[in-house]
Amino acid sequence: MAWIAPGDDRQTLMNQLPGIGDRFEGLYAAFWQLPQLPAATLELCRLRLAQLHRSERDWAIEEVAVPRAQRDELRQWPDSPHFDAPERACLALTEVHAIDAAAITDAQAEAVKQYFGDEGLVALLQALGVFDGMIRLGLLWGLADSSGDRH
Amino acid sequence: MAGAARVRAPDSSTGNVIRDSALGIVPQTLSHYLPLNAAIWDDGPLNAAEIEMARLRNAQGVGCVLCKAVRYDIAIEAGLDEDKVQMIGDQFENSGLTPREKLIIAFTDQYLNNPGVPSPGLRRQLQAEFTPQELLHLSLVVAYFNGFSRCAVALGGMPDEMPRTEISVPR
Repeated sequence: MAWIAPGDDRQTLMNQLPGIGDRFEGLYAAFWQLPQLPAATLELCRLRLAQLHRSERDWAIEEVAVPRAQRDELRQWPDSPHFDAPERACLALTEVHAIDAAAITDAQAEAVKQYFGDEGLVALLQALGVFDGMIRLGLLWGLADSSGDRH
Repeated sequence: MAGAARVRAPDSSTGNVIRDSALGIVPQTLSHYLPLNAAIWDDGPLNAAEIEMARLRNAQGVGCVLCKAVRYDIAIEAGLDEDKVQMIGDQFENSGLTPREKLIIAFTDQYLNNPGVPSPGLRRQLQAEFTPQELLHLSLVVAYFNGFSRCAVALGGMPDEMPRTEISVPR
């Protein structure tokens, strides 16, 4: 049970704030349908954020299927052959965004734009903000098991 | 020195600060951001001054010059004056803010700096002061503005400083 309100899952809690919770969920859902970025690439970024936040719950979620090898080697993506150049550009930006959005370099932003354009960069930054928010909310509300970092 | 903006803004000049920003070039998400932004201000149990306090504390944490400079007019109308805004700093615990206002800042800091279940002491204080719906609203206020301000910072082109700028909620 979450400490913040009755319920033990995100949907139950979001439903207790009608007009806001459902719109927040709607924004989150929109990212998986974007023409600007592949959903599987966004899923890799979301999973990497789950790793960085040590959120077992968010790591266990599968919004979009990604190859097993990518899940297995996500922590070592810079040295893994299972990630292509566009995915690497997005993962590199994701890791810096997770620590300090102001530390993102022009080169990292340009690398994303090289593959996905201005629209792709904006969409990725929007998605990272919302994904990060969902993970933080789960941890803050006590929905996630954050006891280990075993991925 | 401020860097250059990393993407082009849309050609539109609608007067809506979200639609006219770089967010406007992704219509698939813009159609969700606009109603969510209005709902954050209009549809939850916290008043606009309380929302603004959390938003400004987040702006400090992220280091978003634009977000720190903005003041929403409905928050001012709800009683948030500049004396109170000046108390939203790292010394907020020793300020003249009310216990409820201090808890809003403490909750925001928990989200920003240590996302996890708050200490038993902070939980007790939060649960004694706020209803569950108010705590959920505060959670989504912080999550929404945190994502928004991080996006603004990452898109580049942020000035080194900005004067206080009063705006209305874009609708």
